[in-house]
Amino acid sequence: MPVMRLLDGNEAGAYAAKLARVGVIGVYPITPQTEMVTRLARMVAEGELKAKYITAESEHAAMSICAGASAAGARVFTASASQGIVYMEEVLWAVAGQRLPVVMAICNRTIAFAGNVRATHNDSLLQRDNGWIQLYCENSQEVLDTILQAYRIAENRDVYLPVAVCLDAFSLTHTAMPVEIPDQKDVDTFLPPYKHEYVHLDPDMPQEIVYGPEPDDVTEYAYQREVAMQHAKKVVREVDEDYHRHFGRSYGGPLEEYRCEGAEGVLITMGSITGTAKDVVDEMRRRGQLIGLVKLRAFRPFPSEEMRAIASRVKAVGFVDRNFSLGSSGGGVGCVETARALYPMEKRPLLLDFIIGLEGRDVTPDQVEQMANRVLSAARTGRVERDVEWVQLRS
Amino acid sequence: MTEEEDVRALQLPGHLCCPGCAGPIGSKLILKALGRRVVCFGPGGCGGMAVKTVPCFTLHFSGVGTGAAGIAAALEMKGKSDITVLSFAGDGGTSDIGFGKLSACAERNDNIIHLCCDNEGYMMTGIQKSSATPYKAWTTTTPTGKVTWKKDLVMIMAYHYVPYIATTTIAYPEDFMTKVRKAAGIPGFKYIHILQPCPTGWRFPSELTVEISRLAVQTRAWNLYEIEHGTVRITQKPTPKPVREYLAPQGRFRHLAEQDMKEIQVSVNRQWERLEKLDGKNLWWPE
Repeated sequence: MPVMRLLDGNEAGAYAAKLARVGVIGVYPITPQTEMVTRLARMVAEGELKAKYITAESEHAAMSICAGASAAGARVFTASASQGIVYMEEVLWAVAGQRLPVVMAICNRTIAFAGNVRATHNDSLLQRDNGWIQLYCENSQEVLDTILQAYRIAENRDVYLPVAVCLDAFSLTHTAMPVEIPDQKDVDTFLPPYKHEYVHLDPDMPQEIVYGPEPDDVTEYAYQREVAMQHAKKVVREVDEDYHRHFGRSYGGPLEEYRCEGAEGVLITMGSITGTAKDVVDEMRRRGQLIGLVKLRAFRPFPSEEMRAIASRVKAVGFVDRNFSLGSSGGGVGCVETARALYPMEKRPLLLDFIIGLEGRDVTPDQVEQMANRVLSAARTGRVERDVEWVQLRS
Repeated sequence: MTEEEDVRALQLPGHLCCPGCAGPIGSKLILKALGRRVVCFGPGGCGGMAVKTVPCFTLHFSGVGTGAAGIAAALEMKGKSDITVLSFAGDGGTSDIGFGKLSACAERNDNIIHLCCDNEGYMMTGIQKSSATPYKAWTTTTPTGKVTWKKDLVMIMAYHYVPYIATTTIAYPEDFMTKVRKAAGIPGFKYIHILQPCPTGWRFPSELTVEISRLAVQTRAWNLYEIEHGTVRITQKPTPKPVREYLAPQGRFRHLAEQDMKEIQVSVNRQWERLEKLDGKNLWWPE
């Protein structure tokens, strides 16, 4: 029987890893991820979870341990954030190149100095080019559900790519809500034991798994990963639908359209800002303002087709970027990515970018409304006043 | 299949290493000692240029030991206790970029054998100094000779209180294989440090590899011993030759002054004296 528990994002992540019956956990502590991995340590110590729990000496080592264990046939889990992600980056490329279905929780945290421990999405977004699938969560329930989905996606034979499940520092990692923990038997039905069809380390079937192809094959190997990413678009949606069949919850696959029907403009959000934004959209809709919301779940693979479908119905789109890309072609990473997705459209909506919520700065309902009004104003007037706005910038 | 044929099947004949490379000789001895039931982990360095037909997993060379730790953990979870996990790295990986990782593997007592294939420098990238490069040796980053001493990795690893530590070199295949076999029979973390003469980096003719390896031991520039649960045992006690006989054939020491030779001889003598005092005694808990 499923049970309800009050869980924060970190605890939800730990429960998900346990339900997924991970065999090897390689970890290194970093705020705000620590509760997730220490909870797992207790689960292993108390015999609730049969797994090898390995305390690495760095994030680089933690991911290397996960890589080796995954290649040798174990389902693996780790979690990190911020500098930790940057430090392990070298191995992240190897893991994707080796097509290992590693699942990692990224507790999105500013990359800066030790005092910056709150949410900015730059740590995970830095990894957008190397073949890691990236899924962003709105709340603790979604963290639990998405990690379970992540293993199904990563271990799909047409995908075999690692997955990062992203949750905002503190606003998600340390904020509790009632979470339904599924029954282990049901999870076992949804998620069969891990067995890689191509990669193994078995003396009876020897194989060499390197971290990169021969120089002459780099193009082809990279392209194969791109093909896998394109497959993953379908798989992300199918797994979410199948999850609904098993557990009664789903999240729209790569993105969720929230009150987009008849909208003149939409805001696009990622992560925990979405909750606030939904409330604001409800309120504005009550007042008759035609704003909609798109919650972008999958940043990789980027759902370009779905984005275009939404964009074709509205006059203006505003991306809420909890990140920055200094000196970019215009705005944060999300906006730049969206611009490319919308570019092939014959009739494109206007595109606005909002840089907001850096280092966990509270995104208030008023500020969301301000962004929504900018989008609606652009939709009405056909003109963008400021294409990139640092919304909370102090003068 | 005879034993000899089997080894040839585990490491294919011919390799892409430099002529006279000690690396393939060493890996052949390891596979000969252990046979087929192994999984190898290591970087894509010189070692990868000899093709093995046992399972191999590779990460960039900074991942020293850790990939093997993951493999060993996964195999343990799957109940495959008959497979030995080998972690290969050069001296640069072991003593420099992967030093912290290896230290962590030792501290956790991961069930792997780490093999430090020591050719005393970053040879694949073109002969750069590592912290295992010996005193006064020429490299492309120490063009006038290294001014500091070789890091004593063996003793550093010994003080991680791990069950088995050994040194060896390719000129002593029986010593080499005995130690590898012994390590495979001991659960936990094992460290084997192999001196691998490098004709290209050390600047000696490629046909002298085994001779240089032997001279290293005969001159006591490289001592063969093991430390089992802290107890030291010297496994080769040569009648010493002057260290000059080891250094002189190597171009990397060509610039040595008479005073340098003397200084190195004094160091070699001291190292041996210390080792001899420890022989048969417990390093960790002396009486």
